[in-house]
Amino acid sequence: MSENTHETKALPRVSPAMDILERDDGFYVFMDIPGVRREDLKIDINETELVVTGRAPQGASDKETFLEVQFGPGEYTRAVSLSDRVDRERIKATLKDGVLTVFLPRLEKPAARRIPVQTA
Amino acid sequence: MVLDFNTLYTYPGRFERLFEDFFKPMYGGEGRRPVFPPLNVSEDEANYYVRSEIPGLPMDGLELTLTEKSLVIRGERPTEQGKYYRQERPAGFFQRVVALNVPVDRDSVRATLTDGILTVILPKCEGCIPRKISIDVA
Repeated sequence: MSENTHETKALPRVSPAMDILERDDGFYVFMDIPGVRREDLKIDINETELVVTGRAPQGASDKETFLEVQFGPGEYTRAVSLSDRVDRERIKATLKDGVLTVFLPRLEKPAARRIPVQTA
Repeated sequence: MVLDFNTLYTYPGRFERLFEDFFKPMYGGEGRRPVFPPLNVSEDEANYYVRSEIPGLPMDGLELTLTEKSLVIRGERPTEQGKYYRQERPAGFFQRVVALNVPVDRDSVRATLTDGILTVILPKCEGCIPRKISIDVA
């Protein structure tokens, strides 16, 4: 299978299961994207959203006949809206054993400051 | 769908997404599945293949048992600690049994786990590959 035909073949779109949780240091997003290699995974951040897309190709060869099918190849897409409290510069993502972990650190609060009022 | 903490949240692609959700097949909504983990079973001339999507587990967190008549896949998905806003991923103990109604070469069964996909290759035994029997006409 050449890389080109691979690219053009449309796969069914799948919305991966996702967990979002909060810890002391920030938010964590976990996504189940089995079958996606690191080079096939894209994470885009725009103004308000973090968009994850990844392709999981068919793992079987063409010669096999299927007796039971409960999952198939697919293109995972899922968007997470980003909070204002997230520090966009320090977002970290790791992919291990088919689970994507995105760490969204909390933005450090700027210290409160009093503005002196000057008399004209 | 969202972590809605934004003060002024706009919805780019909101309507597109609404349509997409609407036309999605019934069973696959929001990644929910009837069973975990899903299994694919296939065969070719030489082997049977059992594939399964088991993300988030190392190989040693997974227990594979080959009994007389079945292949058992067992394990536990860990739960992350923290305050949950959304939990869709299945967690906890799971077990799936694949009934083997066919003889396999038990000693050369192999299993691999890459990117969260488990592949078990069960070679068909030598004696079970169909052979043609020539009939001599007396």
